[in-house]
Amino acid sequence: MYSAATMLFALGASYAAVPLYRAFCAATGYAGTPKTGMGKFEPERLHPVTGARRIKVTFNSATSEALPWTFTPQQKHVWVLPGETSLAFYTAKNTSKEDVIGIATYNVLPDRVAPYFAKVECFCFEEQKLLAGEEVDMPLFFFIDKDILDDPGARNVTDVVLNYTFFKARRNKQGHLEPDAAKDVVDASLGWSHYEHAEPIDSSSDAKGDTAVKPSA
Amino acid sequence: MSFGRPGSSQILQAAPPDRGSFPLDHDGECKAMMSAYLKCLKENKSASTPCRNLTKGYLDCRMQRGLMQKEEWENIGLGAVNGSPDSRGATKK
Repeated sequence: MYSAATMLFALGASYAAVPLYRAFCAATGYAGTPKTGMGKFEPERLHPVTGARRIKVTFNSATSEALPWTFTPQQKHVWVLPGETSLAFYTAKNTSKEDVIGIATYNVLPDRVAPYFAKVECFCFEEQKLLAGEEVDMPLFFFIDKDILDDPGARNVTDVVLNYTFFKARRNKQGHLEPDAAKDVVDASLGWSHYEHAEPIDSSSDAKGDTAVKPSA
Repeated sequence: MSFGRPGSSQILQAAPPDRGSFPLDHDGECKAMMSAYLKCLKENKSASTPCRNLTKGYLDCRMQRGLMQKEEWENIGLGAVNGSPDSRGATKK
């Protein structure tokens, strides 16, 4: 009888171990479990580190040739402290006679700062429609995470460049908006230009619409 | 992001913003606050700290006009900044 009870208990304990382990790891962050929730946007992280060296963030802009917009930053730089949420502006004007939908991408240089550059709210990756002749201000609310001071490779960086590129938007096969430009141009605007890429999978042969994965020759 | 990008097990270069995208201010309702902020930046050698009250003012302008989702100031890092009066008070979520 006792052995049966012991076996049942052991069986039950092995089932209970999974959620218990998960709860323990999530609470303590043991073995690298990411602490979910607001993550790097938790309010406690958003305090300026007074006394830290200021970082100069420079704003650049570019537009694709297919896009009839002017797009310029309203300030050349902003000097920010780590952990300090800051505002910056770009202005975009549709110089054509039609309404145009644009979509923006961006990258951050140097690469080692990119994981610490956090955008609270901006105007990128989603479609932005400008009416013919319209000019509009586009704000960007961001901060540089204070963990950058703990990263020996990145803590001495004082110059950060933010490059925004606006593309014309088009709909792809799935009906999603995407930049109307060659893939390598879009990749370059995202900062991937010096990485090797795998061949894109050719999905034009699936007549029935399901995306079968084919080995790229 | 709705368009393709190379996957990576490391932190991705361009992560989407936490709160998404600002709606466009088509009517320029907050342009005056923006100009005030930019003027402050020019006067303070582009340092962002002295102008944080205007940052708060601009975002408050957007929130009042439905151009930004309302948010407690502490949650966006502006809790300690004196700016436009905090009419929402310290409400619990």
